[in-house]
Amino acid sequence: MNNSTYQTIRTKVAESQNYINLIYVAPCIYTRNMLLNQLKAKMNEIDFLSGLAFGKMNQMQQNQRDLTLAELAKFNGKDGNPAYVAVNGTVYDVTNNAAWAAASHFGLMAGKDLTSEFASCHGGQSILSKLKVVGKLV
Amino acid sequence: MSMKHNCPEYSARLHTASDLFSKVKNEIRNGTLAKKNLVWLELTGCSGNIISLLDGANPDFKYLISQMTEFVYDNSLMVAEGEAAMDKLMSIIGNDYILAVEGAVATKNNGLYNIIGRWKGEPVTALKAIKMLGEKASHVVALGACATHGGVSAAKPNPAECVSVQSVLNRKVIKLPGCPCHPDWFLGTLAHILLYGEPELDSRDRPLLFYSTLIHDRCPRRSFFDKGIFAKKLGESTCMFKLGCRGPVTRIDCSTRKWNQYVNWPIEDDTPCIGCAQFGFPDQMEPFITYNTTRGVKE
Amino acid sequence: MTKRIVINPVTRISGFMEIDATIDNNMVVDVKTEGLLFRGFEKMLMGRNPFDAVYFTQRICGICSTAHSVASTLALEAAMGIVPTEQGRYLRDILHGCEFLQNHIRHFYQYTIPDFVMLPDKYPLYATDHNDFRLPKDKNDKISTHYFESLDISRGAHEMLAVLGGKAPHNHGVFVGGISTQATTDKIIKIKSILHTIQQFIIEKMIPDAYTIAQYYSDYYKIGGGHGNLLSFGCFNGYNELGTLYVNPLVYSQGKVNVFNPDEITEEIDYSWYQGKKDEYKPMDIVTEEDMDKSQAYSWVKAPRYCGVPYEVGPIARQWLSGGYKNGISTMDRTIARVLEAKKITEIMNVLLENLIPGLSIQKEYVIPDSSQGAGLIDTTRGALGHWLKINDQKLSFYQIITPSAWNLSSRGNDNLKGTAEQALLGTTIENLDNPVELGRIIRSFDPCVSCATHVYSKSGECINSIQVQP
Repeated sequence: MNNSTYQTIRTKVAESQNYINLIYVAPCIYTRNMLLNQLKAKMNEIDFLSGLAFGKMNQMQQNQRDLTLAELAKFNGKDGNPAYVAVNGTVYDVTNNAAWAAASHFGLMAGKDLTSEFASCHGGQSILSKLKVVGKLV
Repeated sequence: MSMKHNCPEYSARLHTASDLFSKVKNEIRNGTLAKKNLVWLELTGCSGNIISLLDGANPDFKYLISQMTEFVYDNSLMVAEGEAAMDKLMSIIGNDYILAVEGAVATKNNGLYNIIGRWKGEPVTALKAIKMLGEKASHVVALGACATHGGVSAAKPNPAECVSVQSVLNRKVIKLPGCPCHPDWFLGTLAHILLYGEPELDSRDRPLLFYSTLIHDRCPRRSFFDKGIFAKKLGESTCMFKLGCRGPVTRIDCSTRKWNQYVNWPIEDDTPCIGCAQFGFPDQMEPFITYNTTRGVKE
Repeated sequence: MTKRIVINPVTRISGFMEIDATIDNNMVVDVKTEGLLFRGFEKMLMGRNPFDAVYFTQRICGICSTAHSVASTLALEAAMGIVPTEQGRYLRDILHGCEFLQNHIRHFYQYTIPDFVMLPDKYPLYATDHNDFRLPKDKNDKISTHYFESLDISRGAHEMLAVLGGKAPHNHGVFVGGISTQATTDKIIKIKSILHTIQQFIIEKMIPDAYTIAQYYSDYYKIGGGHGNLLSFGCFNGYNELGTLYVNPLVYSQGKVNVFNPDEITEEIDYSWYQGKKDEYKPMDIVTEEDMDKSQAYSWVKAPRYCGVPYEVGPIARQWLSGGYKNGISTMDRTIARVLEAKKITEIMNVLLENLIPGLSIQKEYVIPDSSQGAGLIDTTRGALGHWLKINDQKLSFYQIITPSAWNLSSRGNDNLKGTAEQALLGTTIENLDNPVELGRIIRSFDPCVSCATHVYSKSGECINSIQVQP
């Protein structure tokens, strides 16, 4: 986590503390509700920032690599090789992904660039953010 | 808040109560079993779904033909043959009937790859029969993988150019994929139609009553999957994900309902699920059995 | 005065079929039998993972799917050099036996009985115009009751199958090496108990019913003979310790019984729409290319032959060649042989069950060879079934299936010899031209299952369509 993100989070925590103090002494329910909404927004901002920070941490800890199509083809999920697939330039590890039994998914084999297949089938679904990133397709 | 004005929430509550009451009154009247005509068409397939139907229990075939329906046509079971059989099929059109159809529709050469009868001197193709019977039925239930999406009959390279029942009909078709269709899925759907009308369907026209949850999410071996304990060959009692199990992508209730008077099912028989009840079976569910899938990935 | 009778659909069979008969003076003088369903399994299997064949080929047929799983498993074992253990063989044969029982009970009661016994016509399925019902009312009603009782019994046969096979139809248990799961005591006793009920039903009701019908329809002992050649690939045979419990690979022709030689199987294509380097070929040869312009041809089904001659397969062949029932070869004999075989299968299954060792693990991790070939020949519910396969680059590169119904319902061969069923229909006297019940009864005695080949109806050389495909 870099320092400025950490500082921003600390500031926002302090601001939340302030809102809570104000809520204790709120004169009417309308003021109270308004302050609660502000507090809720602050907490979302903190959540977003920590997510970002964790993501960066995750990436830096991984062994990220650049793979060409030819190199990607080796990662077919068989005989000891992990199962990788590429979508939109990012390479994901699906070796233990439940939907990829026998390193295949609805007739698609691992070790390939499946950008267009993904778009035609899962376009609009938030699947990629849950997959394990291992690198970039070059 | 002032209590003098009418709270919209309160008035809504009063409305809902009377709505619910009328609905229940109607439903009670609806819940009586009134027999309907049933036509069963076997098309381009293995005719395994009628065999599966005979394997049903409570309700069984006897209950079906005596209490639930006037079963008027089926190639495998009816006594009449030839033109007399076709007469029965043709004369039901115009009456009220439910159509159950198994098998895909062969379309090559205008359907001449599957002729289900001869009527007034002309061959009746599966294609012609489904169009004639399908458009006029009160409900069409496509059962089995071949009828719902082509299944094995349409497997690559699809020599007979088989297609699903829906693709030749211009109306809603309730779909019960499975290879074969479990008798409970069909008889349960039929019972719902008879008692309460069309069942609630998902976005692919499958009754939610049966097709709501993935096998993976109700698999007794899920704890092995979650812990990464995988079987290396058939006949083991652990998770068969690495052998190629399609449970995670197959939406059906085999894991709880089981088969043949609920005695067993493929995974309990120590073989992986081959995804027979999912669209894409068989081509997109193969290979069914693999021994060289990578297990642990070293970080 | 000649009349042409066309029966389409022939109901109460598995699949779709047409009988096209020419009648002169109330006798059948010419006949063609045509299967009317084509899907092309042999083409579909190309390029697939070899193990997939065990599941895929089951979908050829819904009432005998286990048969195909057994044949493809045997072919794979031959190609991969795998010898199953005896326990594996017992378990697989038990599953096979369950399918025999399901099929024979359903074939006798649901498919055959309605030709001879009046079922309650309050059920629209059973309404019929023909009136050649000869049983006295009490006997008729008794068998009619058994028709409905038998539904629970045949359903029980599939329940039995599922105990070790996972589900039925289209089981999961049969696999290379034997079956997938282990037999445990609770499963064994469950199977034994269901088998007991089935056996009682066969002995007390099914066999007596068959003989009752034979008594009132004894003319059918002389109707529907065929060529009189019988063949069996063998089944429930060659066990190390138990020997042969049913029948060995044998053939019978002109009074002599000989050992069956797989190399003598050929398929002839003179009357089929194919062009090949030769007009007859062996199952493992390259499959032929189609040729719709070939004159004389009227069918897509090839004509399987043994030593160049058509042979009949099925329960009657097995009963004859095992010495069980040798009364004759006719419509009624086929039906009697089938019910007697059902009893025999229950006895065989009891022996196998008694010899099971519970809790044995049979399965291994198997490696697909780069290239190989193998054949699986087994006698099954309808008769002799063969799967021939080749593996190349670890995928299926060739697959040939010859079903029992291809043997029995084949087209004319190169020497103009009619197929067995066509021959059986020839010369039959039709009592009532408006209700030619004899034709359906004869054909059904063969227990046809026509889900594997297509025929094109052809009247005096004119083709109705231009199908271009290879079965």
